[in-house]
Amino acid sequence: MNPYRSTLFQRIGFGETLTVALIALTFLVPAFATNPIVFSVTNQVLVASTAAFSVYIMLRMNLLTFAVPTFMALGGYTVAIFGLRFGVTDVVLLAALAFVVPALFALPLGALVLRLRGVYFVLVTFVLTEITQLVLFETPGLSGGSNGLVGIPIVTFFGIPLADNRAVLEVTIGLALVAALVTAALTVRFRQHFAAIEENELLAQSLGLVVWHYKALGFVVAAGVSGLAGFALVNMLLMAHPSSFNPLSSVNYIAYAIIGGKGSMLGPVVGATVLVFASDLFAIKGEYSQFLFGFLLVTVVLVARDGIVGTIRRWICRSARTSSEDRKAAVPLAVASEGRS
Amino acid sequence: MKTTRRNVILSGAAVGAAMVVPRMAAFAAAPEVKLGVVGVLSGPAAQWGLALRGAVEFVAAEANRDGLIKIDGQPANVSVVAIDSKYTAEGAAAAANSLAGQGVKMILGPIGSPELTGIKPIALRNSMLVMGNGYAKDAIGPQWPLVFHQGPGPSGWADPIIKIAKAKFGMKSVVVVAPNDQGGTDIASVDAQAYKANGIAATEEYYQRGTTNFAPIVTRIMNQKPEAVDLASSPPGDAGIMVKQLRQAGFEGAIGRLGGPGYSEISRVAGGDEVLKDFYWYEPVFIDEKVLKIADDYKTLMKTERPENNLFFQWVSAARMVAKAIAKAGTATDTQKIAAALRSLPVEDPNLGAGGWIGQKFFGVNQELSFPFGVGLVVNGKVQPVQRVDAATET
Amino acid sequence: MEGLVATGLIGISLGAQYALLALGFTLIFGILGVVNFAHGGFYVLGGYIAYATTTHLGAPYPVAVVIAALGTAGLGYVFERFLLERLVDDHLATLMLTLGLYLMMSSGILVVFGPESPSFEFPITGVLRGGGFYFPLQNLIVLAVCIVAIVTLYWLVYHTDFGRALRALADDRAVAAAQGLRPKLLFPLAFALATGLAGLTGALVTPILSLAPHIGDPVLATSFLIVILGGLGSVGGATVAAFIVGLIEAYSAVYLGGSKGALALFTLVLLMLVIRPSGLFGREARGA
Repeated sequence: MNPYRSTLFQRIGFGETLTVALIALTFLVPAFATNPIVFSVTNQVLVASTAAFSVYIMLRMNLLTFAVPTFMALGGYTVAIFGLRFGVTDVVLLAALAFVVPALFALPLGALVLRLRGVYFVLVTFVLTEITQLVLFETPGLSGGSNGLVGIPIVTFFGIPLADNRAVLEVTIGLALVAALVTAALTVRFRQHFAAIEENELLAQSLGLVVWHYKALGFVVAAGVSGLAGFALVNMLLMAHPSSFNPLSSVNYIAYAIIGGKGSMLGPVVGATVLVFASDLFAIKGEYSQFLFGFLLVTVVLVARDGIVGTIRRWICRSARTSSEDRKAAVPLAVASEGRS
Repeated sequence: MKTTRRNVILSGAAVGAAMVVPRMAAFAAAPEVKLGVVGVLSGPAAQWGLALRGAVEFVAAEANRDGLIKIDGQPANVSVVAIDSKYTAEGAAAAANSLAGQGVKMILGPIGSPELTGIKPIALRNSMLVMGNGYAKDAIGPQWPLVFHQGPGPSGWADPIIKIAKAKFGMKSVVVVAPNDQGGTDIASVDAQAYKANGIAATEEYYQRGTTNFAPIVTRIMNQKPEAVDLASSPPGDAGIMVKQLRQAGFEGAIGRLGGPGYSEISRVAGGDEVLKDFYWYEPVFIDEKVLKIADDYKTLMKTERPENNLFFQWVSAARMVAKAIAKAGTATDTQKIAAALRSLPVEDPNLGAGGWIGQKFFGVNQELSFPFGVGLVVNGKVQPVQRVDAATET
Repeated sequence: MEGLVATGLIGISLGAQYALLALGFTLIFGILGVVNFAHGGFYVLGGYIAYATTTHLGAPYPVAVVIAALGTAGLGYVFERFLLERLVDDHLATLMLTLGLYLMMSSGILVVFGPESPSFEFPITGVLRGGGFYFPLQNLIVLAVCIVAIVTLYWLVYHTDFGRALRALADDRAVAAAQGLRPKLLFPLAFALATGLAGLTGALVTPILSLAPHIGDPVLATSFLIVILGGLGSVGGATVAAFIVGLIEAYSAVYLGGSKGALALFTLVLLMLVIRPSGLFGREARGA
């Protein structure tokens, strides 16, 4: 659309830049806030966003994944086991492990499941989450079985313990920021490759694109990003428990990405923010909470087909188109929407 | 510090002005005591949470009626904030955080083991007092001085019930069945030990949570030819199906459920007491006329029927203990003081009777409320009156 | 040997129950390309409608089953016609829609009927016994209904104009519509057929097992397993796969135990997918 793509801003993409900036800005929350609700909600939103990035990456290749809890569990349990068994508490090292271990698991797994497409992939990833639960229950020696692993040592940053509400949130923000940077780097660097796969995999292959290369890469990185979310969750709860990774929670992560808008990296963040807030708000309504949540899902899907971000962008584009002097302002948006196909 | 508009906006944006406003309002009116309720209000286990919420709302209304709690000499207004914990560790943790943010210091609930595990670190961080349930083996402990147990787990009541059941049905072997998650394994294993201690051979059998048809599990149980089956903490719906299918498969022995209340629902699902045939279960509260009076009071005070689940009564007694402790401590914020008051209070309830604090032997801390409880029996398809058992003690 | 046969009988009863559930699920997917997350919700709703009509209106049980089937079919029709139809080509949007509907249905039922299981019994309780075997008569009836339902569905899909039109629309919506078929009329009908089947199953099976607002969750997971195994959208595949899953579940639970048995079942399905990605009877997965 814009053949020159001159500025760095345009090359990186509007949505990606804004997402990373937004997450970095949340460092202000632990710096200024004192209310535990603010901490709790920010924590939840960031863990949710991180997990939703994983869904977002897979959606770049037109693959809907339910396997997020599986890789979150791998990341979370890795951290718990290294903390409890080997006394590893350094947050940087643990984050690296939480990314690498799920990614390594994803490699052979990807060889099996990435051959599947469409709904088969959806269903098989769902089965994976069920298997994850059963494996956790059947391996009490390693994973603590149904009781999970509790009493995980406090993580440290260069020897400084990160124990209180504030430090826990800072760890979550740091992990979310890393996840956002990794996601942005992957999806920007391989934007065209992924777009080609999303558009028409067969065609892309016949044009010489080594499709499985990129699919495997996307799957492995998505697994690593999920692992970071698992680390954040385990660190927040100070335990790794099977109920934190239950199969139906995958539906939430998918909802964050889709309700927010799958076309832009901002989508998962917006979706996670809106839905986590809504879910916390509705929780006070007790038995009506799920009803309200369901109603919200249905309404957003019907009113905003492209998700919240996609729909807002369409409004902006439309109003920009109607007034010709604003046309230039719309260029970055148009570039950002390119990866959306 | 000079208050400029900029400062106000900045701090307001960061903290959220909501924090300041209610506190200001509280000065004008009577002092406020907020009781937090963290319980599952949606999904399969919703009945437990609804019973909990109803009980705490009732106790708050009672306290307001009687002017029980005074803060700085002024009668306080007791209110309830209930949040759905969704029966998960995260849900409970989020709910506790949310309560902490509203300045709530006392939590009634949660109910299940995973929830309790999730809430404890949050409560510790924010020094909140928790009066919770959950039959996990590490439900309470010395490392959580502010966490109390509203009733004993199987470590308290399994043994006396087994003695009664053994005298009645004379079984020599039992299969203990439960779901394969924490809500199942932690109870079934304690039950099994108690059976063995009474000279009954016990094996454990676990099924996947979410199983709908238990015919294969039933066959597996039948193959072991036990003289009795204990459904432990299997949810009432699951337990009902298992009873029905065990009887269809021709099982003639006694069936127990040492895991919590739910007899009436089990009987409904199974198809009546004739199907239960010989059945024994743990009834957390021995319900006599005195206890049923709570239900009448509830109706007059709350203008609606009490929650159906019988855990309601147990939560009423636990919530009353907390209310009394707050009244004794004369503070709604200093949880250390409230906890100390709670530990020193004699365990007694106008409706449930007298009991004691236990837990030292099993958990290492004496913070478990123990009231008289009941053992339910169905013999030859006829419900027997529930037997009263004195409050469990540790011997 | 006796044990093997007795377990086989259990597997067949399980299979009949699963087949009834999976048929509707696979039908909706095969024709509309929609993964219906609300499928379990219609199963539960069917159970509650039947319960309410027998208990509160005093209707005989068979009548209640018919009313439950019609009621859930009606709701399915309305849902497809007015909500799903607008987004039917967007598989992510339909996933969210059906999920939202499921949450609303199950919590609505919870609010109306309360969380506890009501007393809802199958009118026939006898058990056939003989030589180490037993077979509850209830299961025999479910099996009979299952066979009738499968035969009827086959006949509808493969031997009527309605079925031919549906299959044409499933193959290529644009071409079929250009030839004068009306998706706006036919899709809601197909959806209603499938949800009605789920409602019928609920009305039939919940009194044998149990009725509670949340029992739809495992239904969905089981339906997933079966359609993976049978091949998405294939009526025959789903039928055979349902019985295979039933038999595997029975044998693995009896000989390995409940938890390990489930693990064995899931792993087997996963392996199956790796060896034959399109399922036992599936063709190439559709693009959805």
